[in-house]
Amino acid sequence: MSKKLISLADCCVAFDGELVLDHINLYFNDSEFLTLLGPSGCGKTTTLRIIGGFLTPTSGEVLFDGVRINDIPPNLRQINTVFQRYALFPHLNVFENVAFGLRVPKTETVNGRKRKVKVPEEEIRERVLEMLEVVSLKGFENRRITELSGGQQQRVAIARALVNRPKVLLLDEPLGALDLRLRKDMQSELKRIQQQLGITFIYVTHDQEEALAMSDTIVVMDQGKIQQIGTPEDIYNEPKNAFVADFIGESNILDGVMHEDFVVEFFNRKFKCLDKGFAPMEPVDVVIRPEDIDIVPAEKGQLRGTVASVTFKGVHYDTIVDFKGFKWLIQTTDFHPEGETIGIILNPDDIHIMRKSQYSGMFGDYSSYSEEYDELEDVSLLEEDGEGGDEEE
Amino acid sequence: MKKQSRVGSRLLVGLMFLFLYLPIFLLIIFSFNAGDSSAVWKGFSLHWYTELFQNRLIMESLYITLLVSLLATAIATVAGTFAAIGLYSLSKRKRDALLVVNDIPMMNADIVTGVSLCLFFVAFFQGWGSFARWFNGMQSVVELPARLTLGFGSLLLAHVAFNIPYVILNVAPRLRQMDKNLVDAAQDLGCTWMQAFWRVILPEIKPGIVSGALIAFTMSVDDFIISYFTAGSSTSTLAMTIYGMTKRRITPEINAVSTLLFLTVLTLLVIVNVREARQERRAASLEPRKLTWLERLAVRTSTPGWRWVKRGAGAAMGCAFVAAVVFLTGATSARPVVNVCSWGEYIDTDLITQFEEETGIRVNYQTVESNETLYSLLKSGGADYDVVVPSDYMIAKLLEEDMLEELDYGNIPNFSLIDERFKHLSYDPENRYTVPYTWGTLGIIYNANAVEEEISSWSALYDSRYAGEVLLINNSRDALGAALMYLGYSVNTTDETEIREAFALISDANSRGVFQGKVMDEVFQKMEGGNAAIATYYAGDYLSMVENQADGVDLAFVIPEEGSNWFVDAMCVLKDAPHKAEAEAWINFIASTEANLANMDYIWYASPNKEALEQYPAYYEEMYGEPLDQETYEIMAAPPEVLERCEVYENLPGETQRLYSRLWVELGS
Repeated sequence: MSKKLISLADCCVAFDGELVLDHINLYFNDSEFLTLLGPSGCGKTTTLRIIGGFLTPTSGEVLFDGVRINDIPPNLRQINTVFQRYALFPHLNVFENVAFGLRVPKTETVNGRKRKVKVPEEEIRERVLEMLEVVSLKGFENRRITELSGGQQQRVAIARALVNRPKVLLLDEPLGALDLRLRKDMQSELKRIQQQLGITFIYVTHDQEEALAMSDTIVVMDQGKIQQIGTPEDIYNEPKNAFVADFIGESNILDGVMHEDFVVEFFNRKFKCLDKGFAPMEPVDVVIRPEDIDIVPAEKGQLRGTVASVTFKGVHYDTIVDFKGFKWLIQTTDFHPEGETIGIILNPDDIHIMRKSQYSGMFGDYSSYSEEYDELEDVSLLEEDGEGGDEEE
Repeated sequence: MKKQSRVGSRLLVGLMFLFLYLPIFLLIIFSFNAGDSSAVWKGFSLHWYTELFQNRLIMESLYITLLVSLLATAIATVAGTFAAIGLYSLSKRKRDALLVVNDIPMMNADIVTGVSLCLFFVAFFQGWGSFARWFNGMQSVVELPARLTLGFGSLLLAHVAFNIPYVILNVAPRLRQMDKNLVDAAQDLGCTWMQAFWRVILPEIKPGIVSGALIAFTMSVDDFIISYFTAGSSTSTLAMTIYGMTKRRITPEINAVSTLLFLTVLTLLVIVNVREARQERRAASLEPRKLTWLERLAVRTSTPGWRWVKRGAGAAMGCAFVAAVVFLTGATSARPVVNVCSWGEYIDTDLITQFEEETGIRVNYQTVESNETLYSLLKSGGADYDVVVPSDYMIAKLLEEDMLEELDYGNIPNFSLIDERFKHLSYDPENRYTVPYTWGTLGIIYNANAVEEEISSWSALYDSRYAGEVLLINNSRDALGAALMYLGYSVNTTDETEIREAFALISDANSRGVFQGKVMDEVFQKMEGGNAAIATYYAGDYLSMVENQADGVDLAFVIPEEGSNWFVDAMCVLKDAPHKAEAEAWINFIASTEANLANMDYIWYASPNKEALEQYPAYYEEMYGEPLDQETYEIMAAPPEVLERCEVYENLPGETQRLYSRLWVELGS
């Protein structure tokens, strides 16, 4: 489980002089489900294309099992890819799409002589049918691609990649084009397949929920840099900076000052926390997750504010509370009407302290709550075209 | 009100289509005409189609056309496809710019493309010549040909060049529609780029490639202008041959070949359009489609055993094609050859075959449409003829410019058979350069049923009584010549006042509305159909018109009493001709009595061969089983006393030529 299968050592990619990947150091373990997560243009697809061999890094090394593979073309790598919009071959039926990789004659060197090796027809049939069974598409062999639904096409793409028995499967936003229900189903399906086959999945997405649900390891990227690497729990609970805190889930991010270990001050009030190791009086970012905040009657609260707006979300209410001009998002199952004055209590383990970064002050204020939501939706729409457009120019 | 306008617009559309297609329908109908007129229907016959397939000029140029079109299509399709793929790997901005650049040659006027390619080739050949001489001088292992000329190679390159944009235009949209990730996906699954090309890109863009190839082929078959400028003198496409044939007249043979050409292009266009429509329908519906018979065959024969059969068949076809090309080009280059340039419909083509059989020399027989075109071709340096057959005044001009080679009459014993009357004429007083080919006279052709009395003077051309019935010959030399004759001056006068007087005569008649129009080839249809009463034209052509005259038309020919022009077309060899010996053998063969008889019978122009001229009536009687009408014979070959009255055109000094052109322009159209 902990064997390093692929490493990226100090990889940079520049397009037209613009740095798209900025000194990436990253390794992928055998049999893990790793997700590259970040907004559109963060460099996650570029990273994937380097691993797939479609892109050569401007500088740095790509190692596979310790061997440098910078100059090995994609067809000679033991890596297969599930593409963003499947990239199935429209002129072939389901069976032939899956069999495609097996039908390509491979040049093998036997006793110093090059020979073209073909997989026998019997074996092709066996392996294709087996793989169609894995992705639950048995009986669809003779269908044309255009006759399949989005989810079925997705499964064909996965089967087509896996039939070659790769050591690593790359998935580039594979669920982006599916509707929500199907996406949830496919998430567990993918996880099941990964565990069943025991190979490495490298998964690219901008959807943090998807990343949290499936991954063993998440790599959060932005502006061509790795912001944080860790397990889903680490990333959620201990975000390294304001960007990660904001991108993964909802966060209220406040300016604070670390007085000493375990004591932080914000809103002119000292709070106990669980963080240490900061210089005395160091300015920091304070993260408080909306679901960790307890609402109490106003007179019992450590802080007091007025409810600015309430939105029903099904499980909970998104309640925006105004604390002296700074607006917080609080997620609570209790309904507090607009205009009510409430108090809150913050426990030490609800408070997470981060060092100041370039992202400080950019996120975490909910004064323009509704617009930010719209923006997020726009981003996910743009994503579908935006990511592919990166390499084009 | 509304209904009315709809009727109006339908009528307009109807008229538009009528205007577009009626000429083509007429052309097709008259290709089945039993007679040889393009205006008078003489009954249904496939005669012209059989003629067509026996006409070696047409068959040869058809072969050239097909070979060029197929090769150019094949090369352009491959090059265009890869170019389109290359375009799609560029950034969008560069690609769009290049696609615009790609569109320009298609919208550019053909004439500009043709001329520029011609200039380019000529410039390149010159550069190549210097390089080859330098290279050959440097070493003696490889001998590079120093003299390159326009020919099949340049024609092919030109066709490839103008076909490529059409292929790109058709392939590009398919590439645009194709998911860019498909190639990545194929490579990801183990393909090299080339394997990805064959297995994924090609099947995806195949429809675009096929329609691109079909359009390229159509364009190639269809092209005249670009071919005209790049084929040089030794190669002719079908379109060029047809154009050459129109110098004398449009025979129904041309109708037949044009009909076939039209049908070929039409079929190809229909195929392209049907394919596109079918693809759109298929794309619109997600219904599983039925396999075409070709695909069923492909599926059935996709077992390994069959695959070898298919590969074998493909390889065999490829080899056969290559072998055919090699054989044909090899066969043509190994044999001695003579390049002849003459006028269209100006030889009994059986003679060519006969000459080739007798001597083993291949005749590359080309045609141009006028003396002036011939002159400009020779001047441009694009031509590499050995033998040309210009008219008298053009011979004088060529001699003046030292463009002809002196003949070795020892190799042309048949020259002695030429009537003394046709030797030592003004254009070649010492007779060192020429052997006459045919001769004839210019005269008045008129419809006896449409004039009041027998015509015997040029005055009829300017007579107000025939207002709107006279056809003025659209050739300044002949038109002014007739007027000069009428005024009693020489046709070769250089006196400006005399010429101006002659012009005033024509100009005056023109203002009185005597002339129906200025015509050349149209004269046949007009006179045969009785649509004009009087015309100036050549005796030999009059005889063709009589054959085809409509009911109620009674054509007559007269050489007016004031005298007329008589002309000689003679064979000459061009300076530095590469095949002089073969050229002289050809000239000797054509000067023979048998050849002259055959030609005289075929083209109805008089022979300069004394024996042939005398024997023709007997020859005619033997061929057709009836005696030759004496009057006809005398029209064909004017008797000495008539010839006495006539003058040969001499080459006019430049100043006089310019005056002629100025006056002719002044007359307007």
